[in-house]
Amino acid sequence: MKTIKMLAGALVCATLALPGAAQQFPERNIENIYPWAPGATMAASQVIADAMGQELGVNISVVSTPGAAGTKAFETALSRPADGYTIFDGYVAPLVLQPMQGNADWTYEDFTPLWSATSNSFAIVVREGEDRFEDLPALIAYAQENPGELRYSPGVAGGLPHMVGAKVLQTSDAVAQLVPYPEIDVAIRDLRSGILDFMIINPGVYTVNKDEVDVLAVLSELEDASETYDGAPRVQDFGIDLGMSGLAPMGWNWWLVREDTPEDVVATLREAMGAALNDEEVQQRLLDMGYVPTLYSPEQYAEIVGPVADDLQSGIDAVAWEEEQLQSLDN
Amino acid sequence: MLELIREGVPLFFSAQALLLTSLGVAAGLVIGVLPGLGPLMGIVLMLPVAFHLPPVPAMGMLIAIYIGGSAGGSISAILLRIPGTPLAAATLFDGYPMAQKGRAQDAVGLAVSASAIGGLIGGLILLFFSPILADFALRFAPPEYAAMAILGLLTISLVSEGSPLKGMLSGGLGLVLAMVGTDEFTNAYRFTFGNFNLSSGPHLVAVVVGLFALSEVVFQIEGGGFLKRPSIDRLGISLKGLRLILSHKLNLLRSALIGTFFGAIPGAGGDVSAFISYATAKRLAREEEGYGDGAPGGVVATEAANNGTCGGALIPSLSLGIPGDASTAVLLGALFLLGFFPGPDLFQNTPEIAGGIFLAYLTSNVVLLVLGLLLAPFFGSVLRIPKAWLLPIVLLLSTLGTYALQNSVFDLWVMLVFGVVGYVLRRASYPLAPIIIGMILGPVLENNFRRALLLSRDGLSIFIERPISATILAVDALLLIAIVISTIRRSISPRASASDPV
Repeated sequence: MKTIKMLAGALVCATLALPGAAQQFPERNIENIYPWAPGATMAASQVIADAMGQELGVNISVVSTPGAAGTKAFETALSRPADGYTIFDGYVAPLVLQPMQGNADWTYEDFTPLWSATSNSFAIVVREGEDRFEDLPALIAYAQENPGELRYSPGVAGGLPHMVGAKVLQTSDAVAQLVPYPEIDVAIRDLRSGILDFMIINPGVYTVNKDEVDVLAVLSELEDASETYDGAPRVQDFGIDLGMSGLAPMGWNWWLVREDTPEDVVATLREAMGAALNDEEVQQRLLDMGYVPTLYSPEQYAEIVGPVADDLQSGIDAVAWEEEQLQSLDN
Repeated sequence: MLELIREGVPLFFSAQALLLTSLGVAAGLVIGVLPGLGPLMGIVLMLPVAFHLPPVPAMGMLIAIYIGGSAGGSISAILLRIPGTPLAAATLFDGYPMAQKGRAQDAVGLAVSASAIGGLIGGLILLFFSPILADFALRFAPPEYAAMAILGLLTISLVSEGSPLKGMLSGGLGLVLAMVGTDEFTNAYRFTFGNFNLSSGPHLVAVVVGLFALSEVVFQIEGGGFLKRPSIDRLGISLKGLRLILSHKLNLLRSALIGTFFGAIPGAGGDVSAFISYATAKRLAREEEGYGDGAPGGVVATEAANNGTCGGALIPSLSLGIPGDASTAVLLGALFLLGFFPGPDLFQNTPEIAGGIFLAYLTSNVVLLVLGLLLAPFFGSVLRIPKAWLLPIVLLLSTLGTYALQNSVFDLWVMLVFGVVGYVLRRASYPLAPIIIGMILGPVLENNFRRALLLSRDGLSIFIERPISATILAVDALLLIAIVISTIRRSISPRASASDPV
């Protein structure tokens, strides 16, 4: 009993003594609030978090806080103090897309940027050995002749892959039935078993399921993007206009902190993140996972993110167009 | 099968996973020994911790608690005539008389050995059948998943304590809770009342801790006797139990198989299998063995069965995503929260996780044998901990763990609300496990149903055109009829149902 009391006493003293210790940031572990369920994409954030944590001498944990198309993570991080101990893993959906659709009341300008993290491009895939469509034009021709006949999944409805997919279909005036899946791994299974005809996937999913799918086209104009999918053709190689450029048709994230975070704390975080991302080993690890380090500095934030917002509007319109087409087919 | 094990080896044989598995067994034993706190409570209390660990060590720890907890209950049954868990209720028939005759040491040794070996047999069956079942389930598509989810909900209501009707109502409550949050098809918010904390629904772990842990604390407080310290025979360390069990080989094997079989039927659970196995052993025994009067065979039969059940219950849980009992439902929830969807995909895409879980299960049983025999003297002291100490510890762990999930005070409110809900429902003898199953299976059911309709070219016919889906739906219909009939029977002769053990 006596020992327990002594231990408790020691504990209380230690706790009280803490604030008196050195006030150098960071003095405890940092959290990165990640907006999706755990998976390949979260692993990419963890790679950066680990490298950045090493620079800072503390642990940075990536906390999965999925919900409400990514906005729950933002709400969670916003409810924390602006002390630099909480980093927003600013994916394009909660950062730009959801506010555009009126589901969140912030804009990208309401945050202080650290560095941009990675980008990942999407691709249209069919099951391995699919003999109905040998390339993208053949798939599109089929969808044009048989509107609503093909079943496809971009993962979640209204997400970025969905927009890009819908955009390609809209540009070529083709209609396919959308089937949303919150877990894209499950959709891959249904693609394999022949229930779905095609899918829009990301590099993380591709890396795991290489043997199960054939890539018809990569949905990006960037050279790097084709490499991620082992040299598959890009949409424009078939003369099809994607109607979106730069980062717009891709998934990407930019690490952010609250706007009112003290300047010296922001400077420390920026320096650590910059050093982590410029480490070649870190870059290679990310590339191996299918995620391309974008290496935009904090200063380039407005210049890069601003135009994306405009381009994304056309994606939102494409999704609305698709909905209209599918509804008219039902009647 | 061996493939899975090979994949799992590097993940499981790490210092962290092995240590956590051993600690899990020890913690499970302690919590199983303590009257009123079963393996489920152990899993619930450690769930928030598991949430912060890599998947295999996390699942290893939780499964180890499940195993240790299922065995621990026998010790208080033998020494005090109070089963630490309902699983051990049948163990006191012969365990307590054995202790009265001065053979407490032998009884505990036998119970631990039978549990461990029974669990291992269950594990081998798990290892053999899960991949086969999972392989079959690879042919499942949205219609089949929707039908399976209904099957899971119906079976848990049919076999949980209390009336099936109340089970279904509880399951319905779980389904309603599952609807709170963001609709996965349209991203619309449902029942969130403008509160972003609800945008992905109430946290499953906060609900589980509230329903099970908080309500149990209230029940224990009502029971009184806060400072009571029972007097118990001292136990020593002895390997005699292992030697004794050799004379019960046939009984051991039969009981483990009975346990595994009943475990694999969703919802049946360890208490049912222990009673059935005990009854079978008693019927097959010779008169002079003296069942009910301190027969070692009785202890072997119940303990081998209730730990065999653990292996059995994991079969449908891991391969189909349909939990076998309340504990596996929470284990499934944990796996889900760690980012892995139980079912054929687990075996297909992440065989290293499935293999790691199998290894954790098998290792837990081996550790159980060692720790169970070595720690025997220690359990006596655990049993002497008065409630006045125990209940605050449970409350503290519940609160800390739930808060740590997302560092969210909101989760604490959720826990508190469901503590009250759990208490009220238990008072009115509504089973709680179906709520959890409903919460887990709700999205599976709803999303696959809607997805099936989007895939279908001809409306609802997709559910009957596909043979597997049609078959599962037919089974669903039969179960529903069984529930209706049993409900009508109960309302006609309420007294007959009161003594119904299931």
